[in-house]
Amino acid sequence: MRRASPSMMPNIAEPVLRDIAWPLALAIAWIAGELGHRWLRLPRICSYGIVGFALAASQGGLLAAPAAKPIALLADVAFGLILFELGYRINLGWLRTNPWLGVTSLVEAGATFVAVFLVSRWFGMSLVPSLLLSAIAMSTSPAAVVRVANELRCSGQVTERTLHLSAFNSVLAVVVFKFVVGYWVLAGSGGAFQAIWSSIVVLVVSAGLGALFGVAVPGLLRMLGGLERNATVVFALAVLLLTAVTYAFRFSPLLAALAFGLVARHRRLVLSQAQRNFGALGDLLTLLLFVFVTATLDWRQVVAGFPMAMAVIGARMATKVAGTVLFARSSGISWRKGLYTGMALMPLSVFAILLLEQTRHLGLALMDDVAALAGIVLVLEILGPLVTHWALVWAGEAPRKGER
Amino acid sequence: MPLEPFKASAALTMGVELELQLVNPTDFDLSDSANDMLHLLGRKPFPGDVKPEMTQSMIEVSTDVQLRYDELLAQLRRIRNALLEAGDRLNIAICGGGTHPFQRWFHQRIFEKPRFQHLSTLYGYLAKQFTVFGQHVHIGCASSDDALVLLHGLNRYLPQFIALSASSPYSQGVDTLFDSARLNSVFAFPLSGRAPFILDWSEFESEYFAKMEKTGVVTSMKDFYWDIRPKPEYGTIELRVCDTPLNVERAAALACYLQALCRMLLARREPLPVEDDYLVYNYNRFQACRFGLDGVIVHPRTAEAMSLREDILATLRRIELDADVLRSRAALDEIRRIVGEGNDASFLRRECEDEGSVQGVVEAAVRRFRERSSE
Repeated sequence: MRRASPSMMPNIAEPVLRDIAWPLALAIAWIAGELGHRWLRLPRICSYGIVGFALAASQGGLLAAPAAKPIALLADVAFGLILFELGYRINLGWLRTNPWLGVTSLVEAGATFVAVFLVSRWFGMSLVPSLLLSAIAMSTSPAAVVRVANELRCSGQVTERTLHLSAFNSVLAVVVFKFVVGYWVLAGSGGAFQAIWSSIVVLVVSAGLGALFGVAVPGLLRMLGGLERNATVVFALAVLLLTAVTYAFRFSPLLAALAFGLVARHRRLVLSQAQRNFGALGDLLTLLLFVFVTATLDWRQVVAGFPMAMAVIGARMATKVAGTVLFARSSGISWRKGLYTGMALMPLSVFAILLLEQTRHLGLALMDDVAALAGIVLVLEILGPLVTHWALVWAGEAPRKGER
Repeated sequence: MPLEPFKASAALTMGVELELQLVNPTDFDLSDSANDMLHLLGRKPFPGDVKPEMTQSMIEVSTDVQLRYDELLAQLRRIRNALLEAGDRLNIAICGGGTHPFQRWFHQRIFEKPRFQHLSTLYGYLAKQFTVFGQHVHIGCASSDDALVLLHGLNRYLPQFIALSASSPYSQGVDTLFDSARLNSVFAFPLSGRAPFILDWSEFESEYFAKMEKTGVVTSMKDFYWDIRPKPEYGTIELRVCDTPLNVERAAALACYLQALCRMLLARREPLPVEDDYLVYNYNRFQACRFGLDGVIVHPRTAEAMSLREDILATLRRIELDADVLRSRAALDEIRRIVGEGNDASFLRRECEDEGSVQGVVEAAVRRFRERSSE
């Protein structure tokens, strides 16, 4: 009799639905991205975020348990590709030829750290979560700025500086974050060994692995020859491997991918134009990444922490803009371009979420501790790229319509 | 607007204009950074002049009026140093070369200035395809008739300048097999080519320019894209066939080679030009563009075929005395070195072979522009 019962239907449908949930969500997000881009000139990644949030399980949508391993790993790979590309575009020599750029970076990131810390303490958050939140807030999501800059095909000082500052403040954020984690481990249950392991060793090994790849992969490519043909696939594979390794051993895939790109660049192996964004593979993974990020959010958390989220966003925006404007002239650009650079640094989300994902195993559930975080991530995931988009357009660094 | 009167200037003075490439040091593609460079350069006195050009990835610098090789070279070096300093602060690389080896012309952005926007509307894709980089050399003329004699007298030497300066073997990502692919882009314009054969300025003014102006096709000399054109408001003739060399040393040498050649022509040590000299003009020009110093040209008077290399060496011998008077022997030595070692186009081809990619070619050009070893 039970076999005929209609109540069995959900039990059969559920696994089927689960299997098709992600591909379906990606398809919906892609369509939304295209339509939003065409009709509202929204950066595509904004729409991806909106769809991800709308379809998330906690909103009653079809995306169950987004933190489930394969999807989280894929998101890490997607982000790894973007970080590799960003690292590749970073010219460390620029810090030497223009020291004011380094000063700008330290000041904007440092001021953001302090301001966000003060705000969160004022809202009554305890010490460690405040420190972690402040560390996260320093970073500008490289995923958003790289995607928006590539989508607009920008070029100019605001674009270059946004990319460089984003890479620098992301590194600063990872370093500070890991140190806070180390401190937390030390202050809590863990001993000194675990504290050092989860901070210094993780940082050094991650960066070291990335650097190793940065030397080995270009070397391998040179040995194999056929640079133009093979480079994209080889680099993508290398990022995949690097991410999987660092992920499995709980190092930082983010830092590793960035270091990989940086070292590969300074090994003077030139990627051709066609490989920007890693082509269609990169597009597909980016789609997944941005849907994934907002799918981790719960609307109840968003609502609960909303006032504080707005305060943090405001403080962060103010310090970033102040930092870039303050040193605009001395670093060789106009006040106006300094202002746009600060605005373009607004995106945050992807980086923050993935950073948090990696501390889950330590029992640090910041998402639950810091109610404001969900709100910050959601708002900046959707508004951040939009602000970056307009900052670049207003700075005159995107081709005007009809020029493309 | 009638043609401006020809403003006489001191004979054999020189002015050099260089169109340079602004390049992103990461992927070595062109970078739309003219605005940013001009903003930063505008804060300090510039050792010369700097202007925007047709697209956002180009910048044009020019020297003051100079008479001597050493002073011209010194100013060009100061200009180069100022550019490099600004570029370093903005993470923008700068290089010479007549074309960017792999830029896509349809990606270029027209500089926001009414004249450029107008040209862009008029010429459509030609304007963007005109993202090519040349060296222009002005030579001062004491009178307008001198200017026309020089302009036409030089026709026979023009292929030499093309071959010596050629630095544009690559275009749109491929080896064009030309040493100067840049001139092919210039040739697409309706008012390119050579000036009409008129040796008398008042006749040029009334019989040619006034008529052309009446047709509405042109409004000023600026609308002509001739290989050599008179510039009445400066009192000069302007040689426009040279690719921008990869370093300023070569740019100075080319200018002084032209100066010495003009001195010889003004001394009337050569028969006056005649219209039939132009019969072989386009053929010789093609030979120089295509084969560079290996080109074989035809002498317009004797119909004798000769290698460009030989022709330049012979010319160098004939103008040695002029160079002595002008104190530009060192410039002629540099020209001789080009003939011996090869032009910039052959340098870039060698680099492409070594580096294995067109990006490596740009990187080599960037290095070349920066080198200060010879100072």
